[in-house]
Amino acid sequence: MAKKTTEDLLSRKRLSRRSFLKLSGTAALGIAAGSIFPGGVWLDHAVAAIPVSLGYLLVDTKKCQGCLSCMLACSLVHEGVEDLSLSRIQVVQDSLQKWPEDLSVEQCRQCVDPACVRSCPTGALRSDPRFGNVRAVDAGKCVGCKKCLSACPFPPGRTVWNPAARRAAKCDLCAGAPHHWDKAGGGPGGKQACVEVCPVKAIKFTAEIPVQEGDTGYKVNLRGPEWRRLGYPTK
Amino acid sequence: MNGYAGSIVRVDLTAGKTSTISTSDYEQWIGGHGMGSAIFFDLVRDKTIDGFDPGNVVTIMTSPLSGTLVPAASGRTEVQGIGVQSYPIGWFTRSNFGGRFAAMLKYAGWDGIVIEGKADRPVWVDIRNGRVSIRDCKDLSLWGTDTRTCQERIWGYVAGKREISDWWDADGRGARTTQRPAVLTIGPAGENLSRIACLVHDAGHGSGQGGFGAVWGSKKLKAISVIGTGGITVHDPKALVQTRLWQIRTYGSDFQDRKVGQFGTVFYSPPQPVTLWGDPPGRARPYEGVRPSGCVGCHAGCRGRYESGIANEAVCMTTLFYGGARTLDIQRKASELLNRYGLNAFEMSRGVDYLRDLSKQGLIGPGKRIDFPLDFAGFGSLEFVEQLVKMISYRNDGLGHEHKGGDDLAEGFVRAAKKWGRLEEDLKTGVLDFPHWGLPNHYEPRTELEWGYGSILGDRDINEHDFNVFFWEGLISSFLGRKPDRTVEETVRIIADKLVPYQGDTRMLDFSNENMYSVPMAKLVAWHRYYTRFWKQSALFCDWRWPDFVNPSGPGQVGSTGESEPRFLNAVTGKGLTFLDGIMLGRKIWNLDHAIWTLQGRHRDMVHFAEYIYCVPFSGAAFVPGKKDGKWDYVDASRRRIDKGEFERFKTRFYELESWDPATGYPTRSGLASLKLGYVADELEKRGKLGKDAVAKNPERSLHE
Repeated sequence: MAKKTTEDLLSRKRLSRRSFLKLSGTAALGIAAGSIFPGGVWLDHAVAAIPVSLGYLLVDTKKCQGCLSCMLACSLVHEGVEDLSLSRIQVVQDSLQKWPEDLSVEQCRQCVDPACVRSCPTGALRSDPRFGNVRAVDAGKCVGCKKCLSACPFPPGRTVWNPAARRAAKCDLCAGAPHHWDKAGGGPGGKQACVEVCPVKAIKFTAEIPVQEGDTGYKVNLRGPEWRRLGYPTK
Repeated sequence: MNGYAGSIVRVDLTAGKTSTISTSDYEQWIGGHGMGSAIFFDLVRDKTIDGFDPGNVVTIMTSPLSGTLVPAASGRTEVQGIGVQSYPIGWFTRSNFGGRFAAMLKYAGWDGIVIEGKADRPVWVDIRNGRVSIRDCKDLSLWGTDTRTCQERIWGYVAGKREISDWWDADGRGARTTQRPAVLTIGPAGENLSRIACLVHDAGHGSGQGGFGAVWGSKKLKAISVIGTGGITVHDPKALVQTRLWQIRTYGSDFQDRKVGQFGTVFYSPPQPVTLWGDPPGRARPYEGVRPSGCVGCHAGCRGRYESGIANEAVCMTTLFYGGARTLDIQRKASELLNRYGLNAFEMSRGVDYLRDLSKQGLIGPGKRIDFPLDFAGFGSLEFVEQLVKMISYRNDGLGHEHKGGDDLAEGFVRAAKKWGRLEEDLKTGVLDFPHWGLPNHYEPRTELEWGYGSILGDRDINEHDFNVFFWEGLISSFLGRKPDRTVEETVRIIADKLVPYQGDTRMLDFSNENMYSVPMAKLVAWHRYYTRFWKQSALFCDWRWPDFVNPSGPGQVGSTGESEPRFLNAVTGKGLTFLDGIMLGRKIWNLDHAIWTLQGRHRDMVHFAEYIYCVPFSGAAFVPGKKDGKWDYVDASRRRIDKGEFERFKTRFYELESWDPATGYPTRSGLASLKLGYVADELEKRGKLGKDAVAKNPERSLHE
């Protein structure tokens, strides 16, 4: 397909990014990546393109109450311990700062073009077809080279390092969480601990691919009239 | 040990050394207050020392729930030691604070910190996982800074940079974190040994009571910083997550579903800053961007962080302070001042009311009978409150010049009144509204009986809101004319059912005049001590969300207390404790505390409210639950006072219930032995403070009456 036609379709919203990619298959993703996502990487035809994730987390950093419940839930269901450094979602805050710069929620973006996956020399960090192509670490294959830690272009890097196990770990949308509390489990088809636990509903799961450039696709406004009723701003 | 880090760090400031206590040595106390009292009892030989004595030991304790997903039980830290605020004796006392400190301490590998001795120059303690260093304040010029500057400098130093937005190496060995160190610090008020100085963490979490700011100041301890990258094992992770989700779904407020809970301090409150700025209090909300701010793991943050950055995380009394401010902006800045200089909001609020009264009588001011550097004509301005806060923090006129006025107030308002020759008179009229142990009034002893009795039989304003539901529902239904969610009888029955092992005794909740000095009222006070000493001050369930007695969302409006606390504790620890186990352990801890107070010099003759509680009828509105002609209702308790003679009889009933010698109030050997505190009885006997067994009732029987 000519680039112009693809863009035209998308801009007239006749075809969502999602549907287009589904139809065109993974090879077409490689070709179309540069056109759909300005500034994105033009993939070599020879390189196998990485299937897009079927799930993403969106956060509202103006809504978050900084309680770290998401981090506690994440490390608990994945590792069986409460450990902020093993949480795949990070809330970074400065209580002395002014709102909204006082806090940021940094979730894994399940990038369409995941730098972490491309950095992994053993294929341990890959898109997992069993669970909607989430970008996750196969613990058995990880050799602890730490390349993925510095590969993530979004600080703080979304891959976490487990010093006791000497391997990396990553948000898998709770697909492989061994202590998942729900029979249905996690992954794009299931429940995410952070989403369920967040007391203010500042984290949302979506199947729609967010805009990849910048933050606006991932840092969104989840504050509605109920939030205003509590006396908070909705802008 | 699920839920525990395994070690407690001992910091000897005199020797400049640290060592370790094994948590398992104190595991029977579970955590928090129980551990703190037990450690204090073991380490402080002479319990009559003053709070400023280097021999005073300050414990800073977490619980197995700290840093876990347990809602409103993960964020509190319990501080204990000999205080310097209460009068005439600085009781062995407690204060706790929220935020991130307890969690971070656990992640660093420590269940608590024990501070002993006195440094020879100002120092701060730098904890990075297992590495604990005592550092000179000079290097960062910390001594003299306010709480904000101090924390920012420490963050910058520990993280190696001011901006923390990426992973950084927390302990020099590759332990990664994105978090700022959690710092607990004193401000200038503590450095200058003001008896009403507090400890501050982050923007607005305060360990307010007891004068621990001054105790640290006397030890030349400025701050403790902790960064931790480790984890806490949980006995049953799935059960913890399931219980958390169940608890919130069933008993929390769902603001998205319009099931908005009550603004305030109950489990089903929505996340909303409990700020009381404005005149009348609570009316004014800052019109600016704000987020709720919650302690670690809390399901409903009770604070806020603002677009202006003014008074972030300030709540409750800190925001009620300086209610006569000319503008909302000035009042918010006054809150900020308390948190930056590190002054106890309760003492400051009641104290300022007292000063205004004296000013109206023409007694205080520049050149007046009580020479005071502040002219009350300026009351309401920012300059006035700034000068007042600085006066007390620097013990001068607040503008950098010597003046004994600041020195007087830095001793607390009761000691200031004594210095001015006004103590007896002003405690007789109630102009000085400090009814128990020289500490400010919180909930009125003449009407909210369990609060006043618990405070005077203990060491401080209890600050335990458990039975406040009656106070507020009474006001709402009787005074404001709004229909409450349930009848008073229903509320009484729901709560009475939870008061194990006294469950079902509704007489315990009859606050009417006829019942106010009775054995059932004594049982209520006792039960309250036990529940709070264990479940809230040792397991560290937060006072503002627990207990969950009555809950509009619960089946039959019955809240989750009694079921949920042990469920959560056991999901984390696997200990299999029952609610009653916790109550009984709370009784043990309460009795250990009372033994310490006895060793400090307590005798029943000194256990008395200030005179006005006996002489002056309460002048506010108060409606309390009571049974009249066999029917429950909210009865009018305004105009009530405590009868001194009846109060003496009440004390006797309480002492007999606790197996304390009614003649002296001293613990007895049989009472302590039944609690496996025989070693405590030995200490009391050695010091001539053991009560006589002969006059005490059988402890088992009195518990089950």
